[in-house]
Amino acid sequence: MHDLPHGPALLRLAREILLDELLPLLPEERRLDARLVANAMAVAERGAEVSFVPILAELQSFYGEGTRRDLPQRFASDLRAGAFEELPSRDGPARALLWHLTIARLRESNPRFLAANGVS
Amino acid sequence: MAATPLPRSEAALARFLAEESGADRVEIGNLELLAGGAIRHNWGFEAEFYGGWLAGRQPLVLRTQGPTGIPSSLGLVEEFAVLRAAFAAGVTTPEPLFAETDPEVCGKPFFVMRRVAGTAQGRHITTDPALEPNLPGIAERLGRELAHIETIPPPRANLDFLPLVEAPQHIAALRSYLDRHPQPRPVLEWGIRWLETHLPEPLPPVLCHRDFRTGNYMLDGAELTGILDWEFAGWGDPHEDIGWFCCKGWRFARLDREAGGIAERAPLYRGYEAASGRHIDPQRVHFWEVLASVRWAVIALQQSDRYMIGGERNLDLALTGRRATECELEILMLLDPAGISAHA
Repeated sequence: MHDLPHGPALLRLAREILLDELLPLLPEERRLDARLVANAMAVAERGAEVSFVPILAELQSFYGEGTRRDLPQRFASDLRAGAFEELPSRDGPARALLWHLTIARLRESNPRFLAANGVS
Repeated sequence: MAATPLPRSEAALARFLAEESGADRVEIGNLELLAGGAIRHNWGFEAEFYGGWLAGRQPLVLRTQGPTGIPSSLGLVEEFAVLRAAFAAGVTTPEPLFAETDPEVCGKPFFVMRRVAGTAQGRHITTDPALEPNLPGIAERLGRELAHIETIPPPRANLDFLPLVEAPQHIAALRSYLDRHPQPRPVLEWGIRWLETHLPEPLPPVLCHRDFRTGNYMLDGAELTGILDWEFAGWGDPHEDIGWFCCKGWRFARLDREAGGIAERAPLYRGYEAASGRHIDPQRVHFWEVLASVRWAVIALQQSDRYMIGGERNLDLALTGRRATECELEILMLLDPAGISAHA
């Protein structure tokens, strides 16, 4: 049971204060640093809201196995070996996983880049 | 992050410059850490030479190693040798002047080159309305410069330290990095597998800059004044630099303009083909563009390793690791173009 206000809400408020009130007080040569700090706070804020549980469930379903921790590593190793290339029934779902993982990560790291590439 | 102070006195640098140039003495002023340079530090300064072959006031840059590097970069002295070869071949670069390995002068190896005018900032170059009408011409000029770089063929005695890195060696190095990386990167594995199964026939190697891109050339207005940052240079495929220049990671604010965010591909290719006499094979460029996205992803991860493993307290580097996923999206878009509508 997290306390209130939630972490993401605090980050959002802190980021607004940093950008709107503190940044104008900084000398020009430190403003880029402040923007980087604001960017890191935005990533952390979104990170608390993006869930990777559906991706993990999709991966478990792909392998037909439960909650084994090494599934991401196994998936990467299988892709290196080309394990699904000759199997259309596996290649399609494998590609879907790659897209879903990448889009979820970008929703956290850089949704603007995602939008610029046509993904809303 | 806060500026790193030059670790030795300006007086030692002034003595070094006087000895190297034959001046009676040198006075240094306006020393400033320049923007950019994730692996190297660049210090701009003014030097007044009293006598010697550089007599007068000279704007210069001292280039030295940052606190940590990434494995594929050359040493300072080797980079200096590449810069000298490129300058001598007529490539538009800052003129390299002196190199020093003795740490007594400024704490670590460095070299000094002339400071060229202008800006290298990719966002500015890709968005400045005043530059717009000139950008296709700049792209064509960059194509010619690239052809010029490739006029330096192996073998060359003074560049015998440069590695020959063809596609299979790239693939081995990229996989080797992923083997050591703590987090699985399925998209990179998938992309590398595609590269491995689509290797182009090898061509005679040429000098590759390996970081030839928007952000690494200086423009003074619309004039190209210098191609910068030669620390990744080596021998390789003539299409490698073209793929790197065009890869989406280096288009800054204009993802739609495939030649470095500044133009369509046509003027870049036209300049290159006219100056080199070689035909650009779009299929080969496609291969090298995929490899560029994988390589840029690994470099981004290596940059964040400098924080996560090396302990370098630098938020910019830490955040750069997140850019690897942008490269992964591009790999998916290049190799599975129908996927974006099916899965996004």
